Amino acid sequence: MNRLNPRRILLGLSAPVLALIVAFVITSIILVLFGDPVREVWSTILKAPKPRQTVQIINAATVYYLSAIAVAVGFRMNLFNIGVDGQYRVAVFAAAVFAGQAWLPGFLNIIVAIIVAMVAGGFWASIAAYLKVKRGVSEVISTIMLNAIATGVVSWLLLKVADRKEGSNAIATKTIPESSQLEGLKLIPGATNRVYTLIVLAVVVGFLYWFVLGRTRFGFDLRATGRSESAAVASGVNVPRMVMTAMIASGALAGLIGMPLLFGQDHNYGTTFQSGLGFAGIAIALLGRNNAIGIAFASLLWAFLDIQSNALQITAGVAQEIVFIIQGVILFAVVIAYELIRRTDKRLEQQRVARELAAQRKAQPATEGAPA
Amino acid sequence: MRHAMKVAAVMSVAALTLAACGDSGNDSSPSGSGSSDSGKKSDLKVGMAYDVGGRGDQSFNDAAAAGLDKAKKELGVETKEAAAVNGENEAAREERLQQLVDAGYTHIVAVGFAYAASVGKAAKDNPDVNFAIVDDASDDSKGANVDQITFAENEGSFLVGAAAALKSKAGHIGFVGGVNVPLIKKFEAGYIAGAKAVNPNIKIDSQYLTQPPDFSGFGDPAKGKTAAEGMYQKGADIVYHAAGGSGGGVFTAAKAAGDGKWAIGVDSDQALTAPADVRDKILTSMVKKVDVAVYDFIKSAADGKELTGPNEYNLAKGGVDYSKTGGHIDDIASKLDDYKQQIIDKKITVPTTP
Amino acid sequence: MTQPAAQQPTGAAPAVELEGITKRFPGVVANKDIAFTVRRGTVHAIVGENGAGKSTLMKILYGVQRPDEGTIKINGQVVELHSPSDAINAGIGMVFQHFMLADNLTVLENVVLGAEKLHGIGDAARQEIVKISDSYKLGVDPDALVADLGVGARQRIEILKVLYRGAKILILDEPTAVLVPQEVDELFDQLAELKDEGLTVLFISHKLDEVLKVADSITVIRRGTTIDTVDPKSVNARQLAELMVGSELPSPTTEESTVTDRVLLRVDHLVLGGGTGRPVLDGISFTIHAGEVLGIAGVEGNGQAEIVEVIMGMREPTSGKVFLGDQDISDWHVREIREAGVGYIPEDRHRHGLLLEAPLWENRILGHQTEEPNIEAGGFLIDAKDAKADTERIVKEYDVRTPSIFVTAGSLSGGNQQKLIIGREMSHHPKVLIAAHPTRGVDVGAQSSIWDHIRAARREGLAVLLISADLEELIGLSDTIQVILRGRLTGEFDPDTVTAEDLGAAMTGAGHKNGADDAPRTGDGDGEATTRHTDTHTHDRTDAHDKEDQA
Repeated sequence: MNRLNPRRILLGLSAPVLALIVAFVITSIILVLFGDPVREVWSTILKAPKPRQTVQIINAATVYYLSAIAVAVGFRMNLFNIGVDGQYRVAVFAAAVFAGQAWLPGFLNIIVAIIVAMVAGGFWASIAAYLKVKRGVSEVISTIMLNAIATGVVSWLLLKVADRKEGSNAIATKTIPESSQLEGLKLIPGATNRVYTLIVLAVVVGFLYWFVLGRTRFGFDLRATGRSESAAVASGVNVPRMVMTAMIASGALAGLIGMPLLFGQDHNYGTTFQSGLGFAGIAIALLGRNNAIGIAFASLLWAFLDIQSNALQITAGVAQEIVFIIQGVILFAVVIAYELIRRTDKRLEQQRVARELAAQRKAQPATEGAPA
Repeated sequence: MRHAMKVAAVMSVAALTLAACGDSGNDSSPSGSGSSDSGKKSDLKVGMAYDVGGRGDQSFNDAAAAGLDKAKKELGVETKEAAAVNGENEAAREERLQQLVDAGYTHIVAVGFAYAASVGKAAKDNPDVNFAIVDDASDDSKGANVDQITFAENEGSFLVGAAAALKSKAGHIGFVGGVNVPLIKKFEAGYIAGAKAVNPNIKIDSQYLTQPPDFSGFGDPAKGKTAAEGMYQKGADIVYHAAGGSGGGVFTAAKAAGDGKWAIGVDSDQALTAPADVRDKILTSMVKKVDVAVYDFIKSAADGKELTGPNEYNLAKGGVDYSKTGGHIDDIASKLDDYKQQIIDKKITVPTTP
Repeated sequence: MTQPAAQQPTGAAPAVELEGITKRFPGVVANKDIAFTVRRGTVHAIVGENGAGKSTLMKILYGVQRPDEGTIKINGQVVELHSPSDAINAGIGMVFQHFMLADNLTVLENVVLGAEKLHGIGDAARQEIVKISDSYKLGVDPDALVADLGVGARQRIEILKVLYRGAKILILDEPTAVLVPQEVDELFDQLAELKDEGLTVLFISHKLDEVLKVADSITVIRRGTTIDTVDPKSVNARQLAELMVGSELPSPTTEESTVTDRVLLRVDHLVLGGGTGRPVLDGISFTIHAGEVLGIAGVEGNGQAEIVEVIMGMREPTSGKVFLGDQDISDWHVREIREAGVGYIPEDRHRHGLLLEAPLWENRILGHQTEEPNIEAGGFLIDAKDAKADTERIVKEYDVRTPSIFVTAGSLSGGNQQKLIIGREMSHHPKVLIAAHPTRGVDVGAQSSIWDHIRAARREGLAVLLISADLEELIGLSDTIQVILRGRLTGEFDPDTVTAEDLGAAMTGAGHKNGADDAPRTGDGDGEATTRHTDTHTHDRTDAHDKEDQA
């Protein structure tokens, strides 16, 4: 009768557990085939992280989380915003340039720069949204192309505004003033490094994501559109406007991805800024099933694998890229497992409905002796 | 909620496995700082953090690896290597250096300017460990225990530029840069200056394969080939590349362009390292002796005199040079050596930006 | 069409004999104690409502599923069917409702595919196909490309496929569902041909008039068990239907008129362009008063769906206006129209009425996202608590058979899904109700309760637009019936005097001048109409869930 019956929990747990086991086995086979030390690899990856690494895991997960939520907003209404990658780069560049000017004092500078990032990301996404709504261009194609354009635009602008430091070969925007740099939070005892202050951004975004999608009318409309566009239209949802809104929201959230890095670590945007975060977000959103909590765990798992794999070259002499294989296999396995479980779940539910109705009928004075 | 439960499961399983495997782990080296008073040679433990591509990139990283190999052979030092992953985070670079420190390595070489900030931070956190960074001399990487290694690529490029101008029959040469970053512009600047010193009217085509942050221009032979083909077709007869792995494409294009067309290699003596079928098309190479600098750093440490501060490896120090393999430029070697001497004597100042 | 007068000799063992067949699925008994006998050389029909257990029985006969109990005898021999190939070896062939043909291959290639060992893939196979085609008068050209063939021809290829594999007993699953009336007649001729040649046909259907026409014997299945086997000559469609549903068949009857003179919905010269061709809607005008049910009859695809879409605001008319009361709602958005009091029971509830993967209570909100009790905080938030409570109420009041309001809509039977939709729409006290095929694909029990709800709506003074393919339903419920043909309203009929045959004629254009002076010409063009009107309304177009239980 309730939503959390044991069968569902069991079914729900089995998908990720299965995926992890499959990933473990496949990766081990690959390692064995190529003569790499299986035991060392796993003992390195599964070693308890040091406090310093725990901080790194949390930090990496923070950024992944923001990225995955940005992707998930689109996913929830069947919009595939592959362009999160381009959107966050445009956004972080805009924010870095703005914050670097130091027009505003300390904290205010951060707030406004974050808004600048969201506007820039939203704007970049709105191009794809416009093309989809007005011209029927698939958002998958337009966002992929916009990613390429974003790369070009950002590098071209970066060369224009680059602030070259003496003796350095890197090119980057002007470093943001110290008053606007966030030192981080000392959350993990014994760690020399700190957790990004802007982890609060991830917490707020996660909460808002859950709240807006789960509790508001807007969220209901968005989810209805994702589940069945035709039913949403018939229920009065203005689908084109919904596409526009969701895409821009996704882009604006993508704009936040680089913020913890910008204010808590790099302090400028340049050639060494982390790339590919948007694509990781797609994987993590899939793994976390577009659920605010699920994505949090998926981000932590992703970050855990990333950080733990850092030591692989040193302790096991295995290229750290093996972790991409693990992540890829997990993703593959989990997507397949989710689909299998969705089907099983559907079938079991239909059977359960039939069974319970049959039981109800039996309980009543039966007019018809027939079973079924 | 359902989704949440599922993923909760992942994590709990992960956590369980963690707990189970945590202490059964491998023989992790004792963490902490090694002492730098390495009187005995064999005590020295050298960690090397490569840029993307790592050992085997036939270019920059390999040059650093050669220095390390030499030190290992001659000084008997213990070594450990790790390479960067494309698009990684600043924290990942820091962590790589820290991992090496934790594993007990006392001298750590970071290859590539991407490590600048990481080296600065790691050096501060680990004052007992000595670091070297290749290709950076900025404040980011500055520290009392940091050897900031840079090269006068402009000076070396000046010489190959002069060689190109001397050898060009068309009075038309080309330059292919991998990625449009200041470091590669330095190559271009020297090359142009050298060519113009020989022939003020020479025509020079310049092209960069990609713009940052797209660094594929350092590893995409197809792009290099297209760019060089264009230059040969427009009449250039010698093309110099500063494009890492993309240079292979430049050599292929030179081969296809036929007799009288040449290419100039970079970083190492590519007439020795390039694929055999194109070696005869390599007029000369601008050699950037990263191996010398790396070996220097280790050797000095072994001798008990830690190298620190900015160290520019220029012509005078033998950090850059041109190669003569193949004997294609034997006829002009004396002229080139003359230019070399003028630069060493500071009679010629080579610009760093074009 | 015509049955051979003489029955086959009864001396030989029956072609199929089933005894005590029982099949249980977890929690559900799909078949219980199925027993009947099929004489050789006859067409034997099996009829039953959706979910009565017909398809499970067929799967058992074709070896897809194994019975838990009971015996199957083929030609007097007990057989164990573990797989379809066992069934084929026993001489049983199955023609599925959905054809399994590769469009880009020829007939020959499709037939030999998977049976290459029988006659190879060359001339021997071609000769065999021609031979079968000739002896059963199937008229199949082995070298035609399947893509070029019509539905009827494709079905004949399917039949040929099983004959090619040596089947002597053919199972045809709802073979007429995909055919137009003429093709149905052709199929029946071919079945007679097969029968004459000594083959046995098991014909599964719920279209009773067809069954009565073609079968030599009819077995009725209800709730998983055999109720009776009857002679088609001794029963009529109504008696058969009552056997199927196990009770007196409900019949839609109007009560006394509640029509007022207050116009609630007025459609004025609606035109909807159809690209370059003929307009999809061509000058549609009608008015519906409070307390009136306007029925629209028509063969599907003549513009009914588009009228609904235009009224609901899902499509913009090319010209013409729609008035709700006095207000022009032609250019209003769907949500505004719904808020203004237009309830909507869509034709395809899976596509337009429900979120199949969402729980019932969320489906209760759908379409009324801006209305109480679904919202709070000024319409910004969804009020899940109140919506759930109200869903409980709807489930109770509208007799939606479900164990809980948290199960997904997709796990309910069609009838219960429809009751939920009607309950939801009626809960917002609409002024106008647009009901498109409201009883399509629902079982008889739900059907009569849906009719009750429409009658109640009429009594309460709603204006109801009823679109249906079920002429009996239209005649029974409507105050006025309009016939639509090629986007135009071609005739108005009084349901008190019109017969299904009259409507059928008008729908096919046989008499499209006007209803009143239309001579009853039931002889021509009525195949479709008459076929439809005795249909027991149980054809569920949506096979999304092949459930064995219908509440």
